[in-house]
Amino acid sequence: MSMAEGQQGRLAPVQFTGARSELFGLLFRGYLLMVPTLGIYRFWVTTWKRRFYWQNTVIDGDPLEYTGHAMQLLIGFLFALAFFLPIYIVFFYLSTQSPEITLVGYAAVGITLWFLSGYAIYRARDFRLSRTLWRGIRFDQRGNAWGYALRRFGWSILMVLTLGLIYPFMAGNLWRYRYSHTWYGDRQFGWTGSWKTIAGPYYRAYFVVVAALIATGAIIGNVQAPLSAGPGVFFAIPGTLVVGGLAWFYLRSREATRMFSQVRVGDTTIAVKVRARSLFGQFLLYGLSLTGALVVFGMFIGIVVASLFGQAMLNPGAEGAELARILQSGWGAIALLVAGYLGLIATFALFGEVFLGYGYWMLVARSAVISNADSLKSVRATGEDRALVGEGLADALNVGAY
Amino acid sequence: MDLTAHYHDGHVAAVHDVICWLDGEGSSSALVITDSQSRAELERWNADDVFPLYGRKGELRIGSASKPYGARLVFSGYPDATRARAMLPALAVKHRQERGKQLRTMGIATAALVSVIVAYVFGVPLLASRIVGLVPPELEKQLGETVVAQIEGALKADAGFEVCDPEPDSLANRAIARFAARAVEGTGTPFTPDIQVIRTTIPNAFALPGGHSFYFSALLDQTETADEFAGVMAHELGHVVHRHGMEQLISTSATGLLIGFILGDMTGLSVAGGVGAALIDSRFSREAERQADRFAADVARRMAFQPAGLANLLERVASDDQMTQALALLSTHPLTAERRQALEALTVIDTSLQPAFTAQEWQAIKTMCEPAPGPASDSDRHKTDKNG
Repeated sequence: MSMAEGQQGRLAPVQFTGARSELFGLLFRGYLLMVPTLGIYRFWVTTWKRRFYWQNTVIDGDPLEYTGHAMQLLIGFLFALAFFLPIYIVFFYLSTQSPEITLVGYAAVGITLWFLSGYAIYRARDFRLSRTLWRGIRFDQRGNAWGYALRRFGWSILMVLTLGLIYPFMAGNLWRYRYSHTWYGDRQFGWTGSWKTIAGPYYRAYFVVVAALIATGAIIGNVQAPLSAGPGVFFAIPGTLVVGGLAWFYLRSREATRMFSQVRVGDTTIAVKVRARSLFGQFLLYGLSLTGALVVFGMFIGIVVASLFGQAMLNPGAEGAELARILQSGWGAIALLVAGYLGLIATFALFGEVFLGYGYWMLVARSAVISNADSLKSVRATGEDRALVGEGLADALNVGAY
Repeated sequence: MDLTAHYHDGHVAAVHDVICWLDGEGSSSALVITDSQSRAELERWNADDVFPLYGRKGELRIGSASKPYGARLVFSGYPDATRARAMLPALAVKHRQERGKQLRTMGIATAALVSVIVAYVFGVPLLASRIVGLVPPELEKQLGETVVAQIEGALKADAGFEVCDPEPDSLANRAIARFAARAVEGTGTPFTPDIQVIRTTIPNAFALPGGHSFYFSALLDQTETADEFAGVMAHELGHVVHRHGMEQLISTSATGLLIGFILGDMTGLSVAGGVGAALIDSRFSREAERQADRFAADVARRMAFQPAGLANLLERVASDDQMTQALALLSTHPLTAERRQALEALTVIDTSLQPAFTAQEWQAIKTMCEPAPGPASDSDRHKTDKNG
């Protein structure tokens, strides 16, 4: 069997060579350039970000290459816009109707969007794969995006009906669908897992969280007089949050480890090992640096406000009138408000990407080991390239990460 | 000069360690790629066809326009990369061309977006009134009923919803109805105006789509003369006649779409979208206020009252609260000074006409909300500058 032969094959490491500071620099510059371009530059930011991740992921000595262009994302977005316009008009029409109709209508639109997001996720993955090269050979995704959307939609209904208990079956089914339609040149990927791959960690995390919720409910429910409650009530809710958070890190790390390790390309296999504590470490870094950044940002805004309105503050007699006059003169205050808001959003996005996005990618990539890597040397490029043509509607929705 | 590189031919996923050098001069020169062991020639790349690709730091990746899509030569380390760039001037040329193309695309896209915004800001007020003409009045009436129900619900949950004088045949209500009917006479509006005085602590008056208008008791408390009352009512009826409620709904939705386009957030729910939309919409609503003022002045000319009373009342309400002025730019009402000038310029009083309200009628209107002492009259008592 090919598995036995595979174990004798050469092991190849995966490295990740990108520095966090480099990603920070390119995102910072990108966010600044989004201001004069009124947001148009975001397609370039996405492209630069992907180039960073791709070209720093070095598999057996050769990096991935992202061949996509910002222009393709821009065109894809225009398609998506044409697609959303009718939905927007429906929204407008519904908002003029009676509250009952509005509610039912919004629910229907919400369900439609949820269904479409499955389609968009699949097309976006297709876009990224077909613009990925390794050793000069292109990846690709086939299969039917509508079929995938329908499948995912059906599973999500079952998820609601079973209170999430069916998740391992859904995950197994969708991972298998995605990977069995993924190609590297003329060689097909596969996924050898099943619902059992993630069932253990998932149900452990699920029942720990449910038990914590029940315990919290019992503690709070048992207390007759809330004011005289002991430390039990005081710790119950934060305790549940901590348990939930730890369960999430545990599940996320086990999922990365187990699901990726079932991926195959012909005889070549991959093994990934992500630890919960490494993932938690990235989150801790994120929390600390975000707090620091927000303090600095708040001080900066404070200084700007103080220098703008310092005159009014120093002159207590005319305080109200002076402040009102400055505010009334108008555009300065609004510019400050808008800049402050955009700065805040950008700070969150920047640190989220530099610590959480980068952290996850880096942990998965660095822990990965490829077995039987030499069997990939015989992969041939498939026929002519449809990757150069824009792929229509959902490219720009960018529903997936990275 | 020989350079070492990694080579992928774009057909098979193999890695070749190669040595390459430039053969020939000028436009006919070619990059010869040979196996580093056997020195056998693998490929020749025309030196003019090469182009650079994005690679990580300290690495130069190049492709060739006349070779398979995935064919790559990869030079590692700064020295080799620098020598390769010197050897192949086409790389710098293509890099500049690509950069220029990107900048042009970015510039055109930004310029297009700017022109969309400009066209929008100046075009939608014109367009919205045209589109409103296409909306059947029945639909607008139906929408108005929905909004009335929503407002009643909101007020009931909050401070209570109470019509001050529910008897439609009372002196006050008959006077108001007669005023409204005369004000819209000859305008051809498909709506029957319906003005209700409501007991609340908020000093405000507004018109809804489909002909409904509200006049709040807190504003009536601060209204000192019949001219002021007539001015406000004529102004609100102006909104009804010009169908501003419907117009605003259309233009606000269009603004949401535009902001969504800029931010890439099609749900249009984000706060930045909200701020931007408010800025643009306030422009439209200021234009609508001017239109309603012009209508009020026109009614004043026909019905012999002073439209500047409207400005007096607005000033009195605004002086209660400095912060309302502070946020003037964002508020839906234009600056009072500007309006006052416009209104006074429009004032022409023909004394031969019958006045809008008789003294008895105005007295009845003024006392509409008085019999039942509610929270409204309590909280208004500290506003000392009225009824002096």
